[in-house]
Amino acid sequence: MKTNTLATMVFTGCLAGLPMAAQASYCGDGNTLTFAGIGWESGDFITKVMETIFAKGYDCKTDTITGNSITLENAVATNDVQIFAEEWIGRSDIWNKAESEGKVQAIGDTFAGASEGWFVPTYVVKGDEARGIKPVAPDLKSVDQLKDPAIVSLFSDPEEPSKGRFLNCPSGWTCEGVSTAKLEGYGLGDSYTNFRPGTGTALDAAISSAYKQGQPILFYYWSPTAIMGKYALTQLEEPAYSDACWANLTDPAAKHEAACAFPSVKVAYGVNSEFAKAAPEIIEVLAKATFPLDQVNASLAYMVDNEVDAAKAAEVFLKEKADIWGAWVSPEAKDKISASLN
Amino acid sequence: MFPESLNFSIRKPINHFVDMLVTNYGSTFRAISDAILQVLLLIEGVLRGTPWWVVIIAFMVLAWLGTRRVVLTIGVGIMLLVVGMLGLWDQTMQTLALMTMATLISVVIGIPLGILAAKFRSVQRIILPVLDVMQTMPSFVYLIPALMLFGLGKVPAVLATIIYAVPPLIRLTDLGIRQVDHEVVEASTAFGGSPMRILFGTELPLAMPTIMAGLNQTIMMALSMVVVASMIGARGLGETVLNGIQTLDVGKGLEAGIGIVILAIVLDRITQGFGKPRRFK
Repeated sequence: MKTNTLATMVFTGCLAGLPMAAQASYCGDGNTLTFAGIGWESGDFITKVMETIFAKGYDCKTDTITGNSITLENAVATNDVQIFAEEWIGRSDIWNKAESEGKVQAIGDTFAGASEGWFVPTYVVKGDEARGIKPVAPDLKSVDQLKDPAIVSLFSDPEEPSKGRFLNCPSGWTCEGVSTAKLEGYGLGDSYTNFRPGTGTALDAAISSAYKQGQPILFYYWSPTAIMGKYALTQLEEPAYSDACWANLTDPAAKHEAACAFPSVKVAYGVNSEFAKAAPEIIEVLAKATFPLDQVNASLAYMVDNEVDAAKAAEVFLKEKADIWGAWVSPEAKDKISASLN
Repeated sequence: MFPESLNFSIRKPINHFVDMLVTNYGSTFRAISDAILQVLLLIEGVLRGTPWWVVIIAFMVLAWLGTRRVVLTIGVGIMLLVVGMLGLWDQTMQTLALMTMATLISVVIGIPLGILAAKFRSVQRIILPVLDVMQTMPSFVYLIPALMLFGLGKVPAVLATIIYAVPPLIRLTDLGIRQVDHEVVEASTAFGGSPMRILFGTELPLAMPTIMAGLNQTIMMALSMVVVASMIGARGLGETVLNGIQTLDVGKGLEAGIGIVILAIVLDRITQGFGKPRRFK
């Protein structure tokens, strides 16, 4: 009797195992697909969309772990997190190192045409008649002009009134190191305080607050973002990008005597390499999943205008734009996802 | 599931209210902010401008006056020296300035409120639940609107620190005065003391050890806020810790963390020393 039971168990075990092996899939094997819970809006939105696609269309158990980008990149390298949905390739030392060691790889393009730079609100240059704001620096066009004492006093730092304030990225973001190097490279280190707001929320709050009050403010920012879609901002011109200059800017130990613009960016899905081997069906989807930039901006603006979170914006996007995401997934998955939304 | 028909949200009205405040009254709040900032910059200017050894000697003198213990006095000197040797002197002085400012305002607000709460039961009934809210509300909830109104940096950090750190001072001032022996107060009344005289001549001196314990707690809680304060751009030891952890530079974070601990120990021992009733004078 005992042996019989055992035999049956082994037998059914084999039976149960067989179909699994036949269509071995990462999620089918009961693995959880963990996304990096990226803090900024576009990353948050894209993560929610991709999470829904895999959860509903491919029956994956999904999870999101929040953290700052460096911690999450590290987690992708250790396979604690499988997908980092908006990785700005080449920007982070941790990522570059993990990529050169073969622990992580970039798949597809999350979106094309992302940009970043130093900005001022457009009313600083052109004024805003509707709000009664006069242009305070009508000639301001490029970063060279920031040295001008009149411009410095315009962006005066209340904590150190003799200097201007440059609002950098929060420390721990890759752009923080680069903007710090640029400040030195453009020779602005003595006339501007390098102000790190501590968190992304604080950066956004500072910009919104200044914008609503019509005050001049000089800051680093990037697109696609809700702030960029909501406010009229003017990017300051910088000398053209060159590889040598960029190598200097991204080396924290180097001395920075000149600086240049940010390079155009490749934004891709960052995934763990072992995971990529184990889950070709997921990689296949990621490779095709390129969000049109105007669609990302529209979804972010939708979030702000309707005061909803990224999950809601993702739901609306999936409901209304099946023609966009439908091309990324298999026909069966598309039907399943559509069915789950109604 | 909770029935959706019963849902209500204060989200949008609150958002619009904050928006309205920022847009229409921004300049008023900026003026308040500038006033606080001027005092803070003054304190910071003094602390950062004074040579390091003068600051260390000043702290040692304070420790001696407070405790009259040689070992502790020397210990305070050595610990501050370590902070300097770790390369954290400037950050420590910035943090100290922030703490001093927050503590000063806390004393100005906290002690009178504590006295009122001790004297009037109705005041106490209102204040205690408010203090509970102040101590449990996650600080980021009020940090971000404070930042939008008062600007990025030190001022919202000071305000947030006060909100978090003033409750123990109010509670312990209240408690200290209530604990003063009734017979002593009755005796003072019998000798014809006016209520003001009884308060300043009898009750406050007798409550002083408890009030000092409250001040000590306020300082400790203010120190525990420095990392949170750095999240809205307040510079000092907190920023170094934040930078350390956000860049996975554990060593840097720990160094600055040690700096905060040292500052805490030094301030704790000194205020405790002043709080203890002195036997030999």
